[in-house]
Amino acid sequence: MSLKGMNRQETLDMAMLVGKILLKSGAETSRVEDTITRFCAHFDFNGANVFVTPTIIIIGDERPDGYSCICRMRNRTTNLRLISEINDFTYNLQSWPLDYQQTMAYLQSKLAERPPYRTALLCLASGLGSAGFSGMLGGNVHDFVAAFITGFLAMQLLKALRGYRPSAFWENALAGAAIGFVAIICCLVSPQCTLEKIIVGAVMPFVPGLAYTNGLRDYIAGDLISGNSRIAEALLFAVSIAVGLAFVLQLWLKWGWQL
Amino acid sequence: MIIPAYLAFILAFLATVSFGILFQAPRKTLWTMGFIGAVGWVVFVLLRQGMEYTSFNANFVAALTIAVLSEASARLFKQPTTVYLVPGIIPLVPGLGMYKGMNQIIANNYDVGMSILLTACTDAGAIALGLMMVASIFRAMKMKSKKI
Repeated sequence: MSLKGMNRQETLDMAMLVGKILLKSGAETSRVEDTITRFCAHFDFNGANVFVTPTIIIIGDERPDGYSCICRMRNRTTNLRLISEINDFTYNLQSWPLDYQQTMAYLQSKLAERPPYRTALLCLASGLGSAGFSGMLGGNVHDFVAAFITGFLAMQLLKALRGYRPSAFWENALAGAAIGFVAIICCLVSPQCTLEKIIVGAVMPFVPGLAYTNGLRDYIAGDLISGNSRIAEALLFAVSIAVGLAFVLQLWLKWGWQL
Repeated sequence: MIIPAYLAFILAFLATVSFGILFQAPRKTLWTMGFIGAVGWVVFVLLRQGMEYTSFNANFVAALTIAVLSEASARLFKQPTTVYLVPGIIPLVPGLGMYKGMNQIIANNYDVGMSILLTACTDAGAIALGLMMVASIFRAMKMKSKKI
């Protein structure tokens, strides 16, 4: 039992599924392209052309009578564990124990699997990350605690709203507004807190610095279209968080209360 | 405000591991990635505040450090490099600059906002450059060892 002797159609089918899982887990486009090309070459499917941007995968044959398939990717998350598992799979093709049907079922189950860490742990991590950042950027102990509370509550809100499927812009704007609101309340409760230090810590889990850096990495690697779309995404997210935060802070000032 | 290096190390460790959990990293990699992120941040802080490097250079050297450590541990623990790289560069990444710049622009301070955004852009460029440099060196080494 092994994957040996898959025909072209089956190879293409499985390659697409592998690429889909990788892109959905937030892998870089160059990694997705690399993996698919390597996968196809392993099964003697040479001349496969792959084109990946953050929202689409196109795999095609160079011959006019060849197969080709397209997959449109609408929502992406970051799931490093899945990337690691798919990496294991594609590097162990030689000694893979399952046959075609079983492997497809295995990959499908991976695609549908829920991420390993639950919501409560994620909220805790968001709080701790926020607190760590507010400390790193020069906050005192009061800021540390306040940033923990703020980051925790903002992530809790985001997870509670997930069922309504808001667009990414509104999601981030709401998170920004929640951060502003909780940070102001923390400042009212404890006068040793500084508003700026709480906010800089608490926005960190939502801020798109990583998308921005990845976009520039794509540029340097020569994937211009994915670079463009990632940087556009990062700017959009930065705008949305700033809009949510600025709305709350300016409303607060407008009503004549002290910050 | 300058915080001592050991405190910076602990805080950056905490932040990196938290982001590792947010990114759903495998449980066994969390300790390593926390260490990588913390070392990168300490290098950055020492260069930036201790030796007064420019922001670009400090980011570049810290990104080099993180990339080398990530490639090494990826080969050691048989994981893809991304697993260590993505949470590892989180402490460096200029998310704060992007947010601050946008905030200033919304408050009508266009000149301040644009200069903060440009700084964020060059910092991100420095990080990306450092990562790509190490990645291409490691790829070249792999190619060479395959040919022999």
